[in-house]
Amino acid sequence: MARPVFRKVRAAEETAPRLAHLDRDRALVEAARRDPTRFDALYRRYLAQVYSFAYYELGDHHAAEDATERTFLSALANLHRFEERARPEDGHGASTFKVWLFRIARNAIANQRRSVRRHPTAPIEAAAIVADPLDVEGDLVRREDGADAWRAVGQLPADRRRAVILRFVDEMTTAEIAGVMGRSEGAIRVLIHRALRSVAHDLLERRGRTR
Amino acid sequence: MTFLGRDAIEVEALITDRYLESLLAGHAPAGGASTGDSASAARTAGRRGAPALDESVRFAIGALGRDLPRFHPSFRFEERLSLRLGELAATLRLPAAAGAEGVIIPLHGLDAASDPFDGADEDGRRMGRPIIIGSALTSAALSIAGVAWVAWRRTHPGSTPMARAIRAVNAARAMTAGRTRFD
Repeated sequence: MARPVFRKVRAAEETAPRLAHLDRDRALVEAARRDPTRFDALYRRYLAQVYSFAYYELGDHHAAEDATERTFLSALANLHRFEERARPEDGHGASTFKVWLFRIARNAIANQRRSVRRHPTAPIEAAAIVADPLDVEGDLVRREDGADAWRAVGQLPADRRRAVILRFVDEMTTAEIAGVMGRSEGAIRVLIHRALRSVAHDLLERRGRTR
Repeated sequence: MTFLGRDAIEVEALITDRYLESLLAGHAPAGGASTGDSASAARTAGRRGAPALDESVRFAIGALGRDLPRFHPSFRFEERLSLRLGELAATLRLPAAAGAEGVIIPLHGLDAASDPFDGADEDGRRMGRPIIIGSALTSAALSIAGVAWVAWRRTHPGSTPMARAIRAVNAARAMTAGRTRFD
């Protein structure tokens, strides 16, 4: 009996407005095209997101910095090639500046990984960075929770992990993640759903063991 | 997996996606700051009448939203990269600085078969011939100024001691050369 419900939902999905594809960076991109020194505004806007993506993927601050640097230098040098396809009539495969930038970042990270051959290693250190130094008890709990979440995400297959990071850390929509990863929105939805189930299973099992 | 089983996972994925999208739309700050307490936002979205969501998935969403931080590079790295981008931007601006900003005016009447004034607008009538404005005009002006300066220098020899000395040496050389040739 699931099929009629499924069809109904899918029909509703296709008629829904695709607001996610409106490019809020259009004015900044145009300004940077006219005067490349204006690229700085785009750089400041996306630095933390690109760096976080690189850090979660590479697990090393220096490698993440290298990948971030290559991403932004490449984006500036190739800005004239960026073609916005963000209007509703562009349909699937729409691309905003953010999606384009993260595609460059994905390639830079892949190149960095090939050259450095390193893998995520330091969950405790990363969790400690965000802890509050004045709240010792809460700090300990948060460190453990952060480390658990990091570990659970780290155990996911690469494509699921990437989708989860783009969703929860970079706060991207499904359409944007699909654009970055070169997959359909349906495939991304299933990837994230399966990843969440794995993470839930992992976290609940770990908590059950500690109790 | 069966056909119905695949449909079921897609339906569940769609419900999860709708829930996440509503969370993002109602909760995510425009500037993209930290995710904050996703669990409370998840509960709020649930109360608003979102489709039923698996409790374990809801738990995972809350945990990841709360415990996965966004990292920021060091201030030193940020400024160093900003400088490098500024340098690259300056090199990208160079072609424009060299004169590429010259305005090109559409040329009327280049086609010999057609009447140059036929159908041309008022500006076209006034111009009547191709004009290029910008770097070409600048270079032409410099050339004319250079020719004028050289002509003026030839008719107005310098009166400084060095110029007089050079003229004396040149004259002596000419005399010496004349003597050796006819002697």
